[in-house]
Amino acid sequence: MTTINLNGAAPSVDESHVEETGHAPLLEVRDLSVTFHTPRGSVRAVRHASFTVHRGEVLGLVGESGCGKSTVAFATMRYLPTTAEVGGEIRFEGRDLNSMSSAELQSIRGDRIAMVYQDPGSALNPSIRVGLQIEEVLHAHRSMSRQEAQERVAELFESVGLPNPARIGQRYPHELSGGQQQRVVIAMALACEPDLLLMDEPTTGLDVTTEATILDLISELKDRVNAGIIFVSHNLGVIARVADRVAVMYAGQVIEEAPVRDLFSNPSHPYTAGLLSCVPAPVTGDGAVPLLRNIPGSVYPASAPNVDACLFADRCPIVQDICREQAPPEIVGASEGHPARCFFPERVNASIWGDPEPRRRRRREVGGTPLLSVDALHQYYGTDRKKFIFFGPPARRPVRANVDVDFEIGAGRTLGIVGESGSGKSTAARSIAGLERRTSGEVLLEGEPLARDVADRTDDQRAKIRMVFQNPAASLNPQLPIGHALVRSIRQARGLGRREARRNARALLDAVGLGGEYMERRPRELSGGQQQRVALAAAFAADPDLVIADEAVSALDVSVQAQVLNLITARQQREGTAFMFITHDLGVVRYISDDILVMYGGYVVETGPAETVLAPPWSPYTEALLSAAPIPDPDAEPSRIRLEGAVPTLRQPFKGCPFADRCPRNLGDLCDNTPPPMRVDPANEHHKILCHIPLEELAIEQRKAIETREKLVRR
Amino acid sequence: MARFLVLRLGLIVLTLFVISLAIFAVTEVLPGDVATQILGQGATPENVATLRERLGLNDPWPVRYLGWVGGAIRGDLGESLVQRLPITEMVGPRLFNSMILASFTFFVAIPIAVAVGIWAGVHRNSFGDRVASMTSLAAISLPEFVTGVVLIIIFSTTLGWLPSSSLVEPGTNPLTRPQILVLPALTLTGVMFAYVMRMARANVIEVLETNYVRSAVLKGIPMRSVIWRHVVPNAMLPTISVISLNVGWLLGGLIVVENVFSYPGLGRLLLTSIQTRDMPLLQSLSLLIAAVYAISNLLADLTYTWLNPRIRFA
Repeated sequence: MTTINLNGAAPSVDESHVEETGHAPLLEVRDLSVTFHTPRGSVRAVRHASFTVHRGEVLGLVGESGCGKSTVAFATMRYLPTTAEVGGEIRFEGRDLNSMSSAELQSIRGDRIAMVYQDPGSALNPSIRVGLQIEEVLHAHRSMSRQEAQERVAELFESVGLPNPARIGQRYPHELSGGQQQRVVIAMALACEPDLLLMDEPTTGLDVTTEATILDLISELKDRVNAGIIFVSHNLGVIARVADRVAVMYAGQVIEEAPVRDLFSNPSHPYTAGLLSCVPAPVTGDGAVPLLRNIPGSVYPASAPNVDACLFADRCPIVQDICREQAPPEIVGASEGHPARCFFPERVNASIWGDPEPRRRRRREVGGTPLLSVDALHQYYGTDRKKFIFFGPPARRPVRANVDVDFEIGAGRTLGIVGESGSGKSTAARSIAGLERRTSGEVLLEGEPLARDVADRTDDQRAKIRMVFQNPAASLNPQLPIGHALVRSIRQARGLGRREARRNARALLDAVGLGGEYMERRPRELSGGQQQRVALAAAFAADPDLVIADEAVSALDVSVQAQVLNLITARQQREGTAFMFITHDLGVVRYISDDILVMYGGYVVETGPAETVLAPPWSPYTEALLSAAPIPDPDAEPSRIRLEGAVPTLRQPFKGCPFADRCPRNLGDLCDNTPPPMRVDPANEHHKILCHIPLEELAIEQRKAIETREKLVRR
Repeated sequence: MARFLVLRLGLIVLTLFVISLAIFAVTEVLPGDVATQILGQGATPENVATLRERLGLNDPWPVRYLGWVGGAIRGDLGESLVQRLPITEMVGPRLFNSMILASFTFFVAIPIAVAVGIWAGVHRNSFGDRVASMTSLAAISLPEFVTGVVLIIIFSTTLGWLPSSSLVEPGTNPLTRPQILVLPALTLTGVMFAYVMRMARANVIEVLETNYVRSAVLKGIPMRSVIWRHVVPNAMLPTISVISLNVGWLLGGLIVVENVFSYPGLGRLLLTSIQTRDMPLLQSLSLLIAAVYAISNLLADLTYTWLNPRIRFA
């Protein structure tokens, strides 16, 4: 980003022309466009956006990365780089923000309009105590004594549910957990009781359990404060939880706007319908999972000029000639009902993207050696350190990232590993791949023991296990054409000649839907989804038996995520490749896994075939994870199991159950002080749960909880 | 905090011990016999032998090392071989003179450099910023002896405003004639000023683009508070590390500048001791400079810790 326009020069507005507040909507955005003029050409971040926000309602702004939703939020704050050219009007209580002087803006920011950001850790100043950072807002906009300001801050901390509100202001940001940091940022935004709150992806990057508690807070706030809220998110599940109305953005345009229930039940733009069908759906009763449909092609680029046509035409399944010749009707601000930027909104329904085929889970094969078996895997980092280096009481314990992890992966099956960050799931993957030297334990590939270090394994073993990472850009060499990496992998693994290897590489690229012409491209010329497909192709190049995918789809947009997930399932069906799929997204795990492993604090807390893990009895941790996951359905009643606190640091060995101090079903002394047994489900011997509570009891309690919730919904 | 301090002081002692060993070893392996040096080429072998005996040069090296270090700890650095004076007495006034020159750079030039850097960073790409950046680039590129000579040509040879030599009468205080300090101080300041200013500027620019500065601006607090409360403290952290690294460099600069201006400081003494092969003096000066360097690094670390809450309790 280039220099920020901090002063924003514009003539002051004559106050007498300002309309009476109360008549005008709180915020009216009309024909907004934002273009960034960069040395490499113009970027049209926002092409056309019109919408209104009223007091007391939440407008959800949803779309995939690059659609301009965050730019709209920052334009509303008049916080854009100096290279930005802004067109249209943004009227806040009738006054145009674009023509305000910097002094007026300063008096509105933080007072009347406030913002909550993605990544709260970086939004707070690391070297100032959090209490002071909030007092600053109060001093800037309210004449308050130090004493009054401190009391107000404590009040705010209490209202956002921070523990010990009178004292927590003395902390520095790094002494708070991610969820607490976001609560501080929300308290900061609420300090002056603003009229308009902008929330830019406020839960993105937080763990599901933390996300759920923050979303609870936001839904509670919207009833308590009389403010309009713009909630920007890429996550349809999150939008379904908090929004009253939703505006969908695509390629810089608002393409559909509707009340939240209408939008989810009856989308009127093909793109919205497509997005909804990309989100992994909950399991159906018979254990079958509907195959995800995906939106082909990629987003209309921001560098391309505005044209008189529908920008979605190239990807649309119901496209007509008119769509390419004429721009569809624009959505105007303050429009009633359910406008869509489409010529044929009445033709849009879920089936335009094809009827979903159910994807059956694989039956577990009886007998035989599993492809991979992991027995009592331990992974510790560091060693005991004493207070005076060589003697004295222990000052620092090793980090116990994996403790006694056991599991198996059958040939051609997918094991999904879920857990919050810090649960040890990535460590397990890295130990198996040989990127970390395990502390102890056995890892067997087809019955043969694998060396700790990948360097000590045979070429054949290395070819059989391949890994794909979260950030594809970081795992591809930016200097080399992508064909190079593929050819090298193929030659190493299969010992083919250069020409033969190149032919194979082309075939691989075809198989991941990219085509041979991508051979000579460099990673930076590809989008994130394309890069991840190249990374997958590179993993497939060695013809592996097992691919370990560590958060491989987490950073991708839902439509791209669906493409990649389908690619993986197709490969699995055709070649019988097994996958170890690590993710924090329960929807994805449900969709892709045959077996599921749930980890917490370095321990396996539940494992078994997917359908058994996803139905009661659950381990209390699995139950909490499932109830925290946002569901893309506005009518879904959120279950009330919430986890407070953070994942433990793993330095102190647990006396009892690793989950004891956060467990909603904690039995007291037993759970706190005695390690729990791994109980086997009598209904399925492969389904195991680490818990003190007998499974029959767990199942009864959990079914009861579901029934009470369903009763509540019916009422 | 106390634990941190004790640990660091212990480490400094350890560092100085290792350095003293290194200094001793280096002077041991240097060719040339000290006794011959003192007595001159024409000395009789008997005289040389007597002198060696008197200087203790015939003792095994551990004895000599311990004698030297033990003396240094007691504050007795021995005697200069050439001038036959106690080193402690020779070093005292020189150290004072050098400190005056260095303090000027440290306490006047660096704060100004930081201030200019902050201003340039906030007003990035303005005319003033460009001038400051260009000037500092020029200053960095020129070594001190060039800057010194250029300053002499301009201010003393041509304009005649200031003396070209900064000799101080033995036993007098250079502060009684402050005009002799101006040119050496300016020369010494040049590169360091430019370096610190550029560093401060770069850090300010970096911090201005962080999310927490964005939060501060969008809180609606005045720009002045954004700069002083949010930008400057965070931009100072890396700047301080750079300044502390530069202390060693400042000491090196002193040697050059003191020689260009014939200013009687530690640097000039060091050079003289090398030229005359005055080993005890050379050893003592090296150890002293190492100690100054270690202590200034400790002070920089303490400031850093004080400014940065993230490592305050580590």
